[in-house]
Amino acid sequence: MAKTILVVDDSASLRQVVGIALKGAGYDVIEGRDGADALTKCTGQKIHLVVCDVNMPNMDGITFVKEFKKLASYRFTPVIMLTTESQESKKEEGKAAGAKAWVVKPFKPEVLLGAVAKLVLP
Amino acid sequence: MKTIFGVEASFKQLFAPFALAAAGGAGTIVAGWGAWGWYTVLWAALLLAGAAWCAFGPPVGGQVPGGDSMIVRYLHGRDAFGAAVLPVWSRHMENSRTQMEDAVADLATRFSSIVDKLDRALHVSSLEGNQGGQSMTAVFSHSASQLASVVASMKSAMQSKQAMLAQIRDLERFTRELRDMAEGVASIAAQTNLLALNAAIEAARAGPAGAGFAVVAQEVRHLSSRSAETGRNISQRVGQISSAILAASQAAEASSDAEDQSMQSAEGMIDSVLADFRTMTDALVQSSDLLKQESIAIQGEVGEALVQLQFQDRVSQVMSHVRENLALMPTVLEENRRHFEATGELLAPDPAPLLDALKSTYAMAEEHAVHGGSRHVAPKAADADEITFF
Repeated sequence: MAKTILVVDDSASLRQVVGIALKGAGYDVIEGRDGADALTKCTGQKIHLVVCDVNMPNMDGITFVKEFKKLASYRFTPVIMLTTESQESKKEEGKAAGAKAWVVKPFKPEVLLGAVAKLVLP
Repeated sequence: MKTIFGVEASFKQLFAPFALAAAGGAGTIVAGWGAWGWYTVLWAALLLAGAAWCAFGPPVGGQVPGGDSMIVRYLHGRDAFGAAVLPVWSRHMENSRTQMEDAVADLATRFSSIVDKLDRALHVSSLEGNQGGQSMTAVFSHSASQLASVVASMKSAMQSKQAMLAQIRDLERFTRELRDMAEGVASIAAQTNLLALNAAIEAARAGPAGAGFAVVAQEVRHLSSRSAETGRNISQRVGQISSAILAASQAAEASSDAEDQSMQSAEGMIDSVLADFRTMTDALVQSSDLLKQESIAIQGEVGEALVQLQFQDRVSQVMSHVRENLALMPTVLEENRRHFEATGELLAPDPAPLLDALKSTYAMAEEHAVHGGSRHVAPKAADADEITFF
């Protein structure tokens, strides 16, 4: 059974690009337009990994990760931050929130898939 | 602000020219015409120039009485200009950004569709991954093996038939021997008959004493006659059987020849079909290999295109940041005007707050680089070793 990955990004084109890479590798993908929208998708179903942008309207990525990690079902679900931000201070914020990896856009699909394969839950 | 003949004028503009003109007239009267006349005219001209400057020159000092000056009008107009133009610029930027995002999203969807179709086509045409789990090459080998076993069975049947034909030929030889034996019986019967005839002659010569012997000789002649008849019958039957066996043998031989030719023809056709099949499968295998290679190449190209498509996101972010900064401009202009109205000090708008606000929105290193003066910064896609794992 394919593993499910939640992709959170306010850019529809980026969600598409990430979706193409992940679906091509055999993963199922669900999407969130921003942090708030993504939280509404976290209703207890199995999510094996989250790929999340940082700068988004309504709820930014760091806040989303903090809220996501408060949900009992997803306490151990790994999160990869996928963002244009490359500042160390931002990375530290992501780490403190509970993210497991930080990938800077633009990304090569094989690079993202490598990180996903390393972190995705069994 | 007062209105004279429909024209708004300040205190300085209304009264200073009259005061200066009066001073010039008084000076002229006092000096009169004479040696000082030209100086007086010069004095009057200077005073008139001063009056004109008072009437039409810029206001003197930082204070603008009542805030009714041309500068205030200019500043209000500038606010209105900002309020009118900047939202339009912002809307155009946002509209362009949205259009670009929609177009790129659509493009990404089409790429996704292309990749899916390519995968499906490759899956269907894949000789190694078809539904039966058998490759075309394996199917060919299996078919060739089965057809070879069919040919072998046919050859084995032909050999059995040849053995049977040999046995029929042996039967013919046996019938020949039987015919010889029948002829032997007929020969014995003729000699016996001759012997019985001689015995009958000798019995007749002996007279009454040979009468009994004549009867025996008669019976022997009778038996030899029957033996000769039986021999002829046997010979006739054997001849018939021999003819039947010969006919059967010839028919079997003709049939065997026909079957042999048929089998050779079938074997040739099977070889030909297998050769054609082999040519076709080889072509299909080559085609499939080529398709796989092309597919891998296309997927690589699509992967590279996916990297390039991500630049829309970066451009979109930069445009959003600039648009948000543009939206602050009316407030900056308004504050600049209010400062002038409050203090009378006319200052050029300070770019620092706007630039600081813009800088605070930056997410990308290239934005900082461009802000610092770089004209063109092209970031490359992150490599695997650029991932930060926590």
